Amino acid sequence: MNKIERKEKFITISKNQEIELHLFDKENKNIIYSLEKNSKLIVYQYGFDINNNIEIQLNGENSEVEYHYSLIGHQNTQYNILVLHNANNTKSNIYNHGLNVLNNKMDFNIVGKVPKKSKNCICNQENQIINLKNGNSTILPNLLIDQYEVVSNHSAYIGKFKDDILFYLMSRGISKKRGYELLIKSFLINNSNKQEDLINLEKEISKI
Amino acid sequence: MLELKNIYVKVKDTDKEIIKNLSLKIGKGEVHAIMGPNGTGKSTLSKTLMGYYKYELTKGDILFNGKSIKNLEVDERAKCGIFLAMQDPTVINGVTNSEFLKTAKRELTNEPLDYFDFIKSIEKSLDSLNFDYSMIHRHVNKNFSGGEKKKNEILQIQILKPKFIILDEIDSGLDVDSLKIVCKNISSYLKENKDTSILIITHYPRILEYIKPDYVHIMNNGKIEKTGDITLALETEKSGYNSINKMNGKEKNE
Ligand SMILES: Nc1ncnc2c1ncn2[C@@H]1O[C@H](COP(=O)(O)OP(=O)(O)OP(=O)(O)O)[C@@H](O)[C@H]1O
Ligand SMILES: [Mg+2]
Repeated sequence: MNKIERKEKFITISKNQEIELHLFDKENKNIIYSLEKNSKLIVYQYGFDINNNIEIQLNGENSEVEYHYSLIGHQNTQYNILVLHNANNTKSNIYNHGLNVLNNKMDFNIVGKVPKKSKNCICNQENQIINLKNGNSTILPNLLIDQYEVVSNHSAYIGKFKDDILFYLMSRGISKKRGYELLIKSFLINNSNKQEDLINLEKEISKI
Repeated sequence: MLELKNIYVKVKDTDKEIIKNLSLKIGKGEVHAIMGPNGTGKSTLSKTLMGYYKYELTKGDILFNGKSIKNLEVDERAKCGIFLAMQDPTVINGVTNSEFLKTAKRELTNEPLDYFDFIKSIEKSLDSLNFDYSMIHRHVNKNFSGGEKKKNEILQIQILKPKFIILDEIDSGLDVDSLKIVCKNISSYLKENKDTSILIITHYPRILEYIKPDYVHIMNNGKIEKTGDITLALETEKSGYNSINKMNGKEKNE
């Protein structure tokens, strides 16, 4: 990966701290988060036509991350996220949603790593890419787990919005266009409850 | 209100014909019930009325208030006032019930939403359905129990106010108390909206004891085989569909 052209960012979440971030990104970025003991990080990150490298180091015991990442791509895009469970009782839940708008490539590389020394970890990932047209999307979910006691779930879906869902919406009087808007919005908002996220996102969606 | 004229329906891009020469007329304010064995085409019929993309009307016509709707899009049919409470309501991940209902209401009325009214009517419905208020913030049908899904369809009826309602096995998966609640809600909707017609698809006459049908139809092999009143439903429950066939055809020999 060509790291030179990207902005680098290091963020440390100190002991016992809880942080929630809402990020809107229009330029390529590498972010490394380091979590200390008993800390918690919640991130809602929205990317637009960019490439991102994210690394999350769960370095302290009982540290926990919840990462919601949404990407809209009108060009080739790539997203890599690495979650390192470097301590006992660490927990990660990551939700990666991509909307591949045109006929480009969108690649997700999702890695969760639990080495032998880390006990009682929870490592979950949910990955989805929706192709609005005939984009070429891939998801590589990777769980590198050296531990028996890990709780781990992962799912990956690449495809279109399901016709039956659209039928259900339309059967309640919602037009196809509004139906798509509703589905795109809820897919990309990725469970954020923040009004500002929604407003910013709606601006971008209206350009699709 | 609704008239099906000799319709034939097949699964799109296949030769599988499910509905064969079915005709049915449902007047304003009437309650009709359809019973029939599994796999006979009841859900296919209901989804065809709504314009489901997998089915193709190959012959015949569907008239709603005198106008053909067979070429209308699904949402346009809903805007005519048709509502299908589905046998297996679809899960919509990420979209909350409240957002879904707001969007549908706006689209149906084609005007901005009166939030105060909207919230009031939601509260009223949730109460009368004995539904927890949190249901409104959950994703549509996601992780809902079977009964909750059915109640959620009724909630939509109360908010969206359709004129022609199809209930496809609304009674399946409901416990005795929930069935009572659901039926009570439908009955009072009919009382408040006297012009509304209903088509109830069911396997059990029980629901028909709460919502009295004007006509009961037996559907078999893709068409209406017999029409009667509530006694036909009770007879069928007692002796099954085969005996209905016999009564139809071979009565005299027995
Ligand atoms: N999309 C489809 N593709 C292929 N076959 C289908 C399709 N939809 C329905 N069928 C078939 O058509 C027949 C009628 O199905 P339908 O769901 O309408 O039955 P039903 O009368 O509602 O039955 P039940 O009482 O079990 O709900 C069945 O044999 C079913 O397998
Ligand atoms: Mg059925």
